[in-house]
Amino acid sequence: MRIAISNYTATSCLGSGIASIHRSIESRDSGLCRNDLPNCDLDTWIGRVASLESVTLPKNLAPLESRNNRLTWLGLQQDGMLARIQSLIDQIGVERIGVVMATSTSSIGRTEEGYTRLDESGLFPPDYDQPGVHNLHSPGLFVAAATGLTGPSLTISTACSSSAKVFATAARWIGFGLVDAVLVGGIDSLCLSILHGFNALELLSAKPCRPFDAERDGINIGEAAGFALLVRKDLAPEAEFELLGYGESSDAHHMSHPHPEGKGAVLAMQKSLKRADLQASSIEYVNLHGTASKVNDRVESDALSQLFNDRTLASSTKGWTGHTLGAAGILESIITLESMKHGLIPGTLNYENEDSECGFPVLMENVSKPIQIAMTNSFGFGGNNASLIFGRTDD
Amino acid sequence: MTELDIAGVGIWSPLCSNWKEFRDGIEHGEWQSDVPLKPGLIPPRERRRAPQSVKMAVEVLDQACTMASLDPAKAAVVFSSAMGDMQITDYLCGVLAEPPRLVSPTRFHNSVHNASTGYWSIARETHAPTSAVSALYFTATMAFLEAAIQVLEEDIPVLLVCQEMAAPKALLSACQSNNPISQCVALTRPGFCSDPLASIRFEVEHMKSDWPVLPDQLDNIFNGNPAARMLPLIAAIAGHGMTDSRDEASFKFPLSDGASLNINLKRRKHTTMLT
Repeated sequence: MRIAISNYTATSCLGSGIASIHRSIESRDSGLCRNDLPNCDLDTWIGRVASLESVTLPKNLAPLESRNNRLTWLGLQQDGMLARIQSLIDQIGVERIGVVMATSTSSIGRTEEGYTRLDESGLFPPDYDQPGVHNLHSPGLFVAAATGLTGPSLTISTACSSSAKVFATAARWIGFGLVDAVLVGGIDSLCLSILHGFNALELLSAKPCRPFDAERDGINIGEAAGFALLVRKDLAPEAEFELLGYGESSDAHHMSHPHPEGKGAVLAMQKSLKRADLQASSIEYVNLHGTASKVNDRVESDALSQLFNDRTLASSTKGWTGHTLGAAGILESIITLESMKHGLIPGTLNYENEDSECGFPVLMENVSKPIQIAMTNSFGFGGNNASLIFGRTDD
Repeated sequence: MTELDIAGVGIWSPLCSNWKEFRDGIEHGEWQSDVPLKPGLIPPRERRRAPQSVKMAVEVLDQACTMASLDPAKAAVVFSSAMGDMQITDYLCGVLAEPPRLVSPTRFHNSVHNASTGYWSIARETHAPTSAVSALYFTATMAFLEAAIQVLEEDIPVLLVCQEMAAPKALLSACQSNNPISQCVALTRPGFCSDPLASIRFEVEHMKSDWPVLPDQLDNIFNGNPAARMLPLIAAIAGHGMTDSRDEASFKFPLSDGASLNINLKRRKHTTMLT
């Protein structure tokens, strides 16, 4: 079953909509800033969506108020996504379109706020009594309400691989015939749980993150919302890109450390190649997970060396966006699609000193080169891995 | 309709620590109370640190996988829960409500929705894919559909977990779950296992339906628990309400506000024969 990508959009610290991605990659302007989140004095850098505080939800969606849902609303309004969804509804019927969202922390930022305002009996005050918000499916519920989509709706939450896995689930749903199209997405927003949690794990950097750099010392957390409309190929003959393959695996090693030889990462990449019926040599570019944590980058470099030779270009774009967790898979998929569209492959921002422990060559500088086939990797806590392969439609 | 087999079942709640105790409860109304949660797959030392959500899920995964005689290296997992680990959410939000906001690193990494499948993959040394999902009120039925489609599209057995904890006080307005339950069914292609518990046929119908009622004795205990919505199916596998001489039962479960998941179940093996 061929799966076309009929429209896509992303909003991150680089700006609202996909134009912000190409612009920032080309100018090598990072979206990261020193942490200025209210009530959070941690010494780190973050990828914050600047306009989010001024976003207000329309009246019908206001009961679903949360930072995460405001980010979702902002993201959905970019790049003609809502109009494209409506025209697809008109074309194939609302029942034939599914919703598969991804998040790691959903609207927990709102729950955190509610806990500062519990009443004397330990319950939320009335304005925080929001059953549709304080749960993991909050993104799925909000997107369905905001788009009018009423088909099957699911939220996947497998930490930092979440929004890569939405592509796999959507492909299966379409392949099975449950639906003919799926709106996939990934949304995660800045919140205290994530910043203090990663701080407790001693994984945050006090500087802008430096993926693969010998001096790298940790990650920066970012927020983002990305969406893609996946459609049975024959229903979107004009689509420029296709999902060619996906691979999912488990490390079976540790809850928060990757497998030392990258076994799960290699397996996910191999499975995506097999599903796409491609040799590793066909992959022209890999957008890496590349978080800038000491261990991740070394293991991912090792995993790449097991599959690819140095003709395959590779880079991490987290120096631009930070690690957007449950949104990283789709944000970096969209960055990859934009690289293919513009023939401009991003380098790795803030990567200056080669690390002898990271043997696979990773791009420092941007490269202008037309590419047809590219891969993106997402690896999460719990040893949960996913790789995706995208291609330019050649017919 | 699409066909699948159910090759194994696992269940844990304070009322029953395994399938045999569940069956005894359903047949004779003899329920345990406050049964311990001691998954054999997690070493005793780690068991003290492992969250309840992880222990529940690993226990039922182990039960179902063993009953179905599946190779865990060749079975995917779909874990489902509307709310995730509510005890950890309660802990995190409580600690973060005021300075110094010091979070336990272990409890933080255990807060991910896929913590249970992470522990399972480590304990069984399986590199097979695992997922973790939610669809709030429709979590159990959407997770069933997700798992069933994986079985057929990936040609792999899937261990489906439907689980919800008891809600801490502050989260009761979001989820009215008073008692924890975890259930696992091993879904396979028809004929994948030579001796399945039951065969099912399912389809999606674009018509609204109401939730099937829970067995009388369990209704007041699990009413409001989104995972317990699957109990009528699990109870039917145990023979509950099987008045049909062909040992079949049909259900309509809501899949959304406007669609239902219709499941026809045929018992293949009288589970009283199982130990």
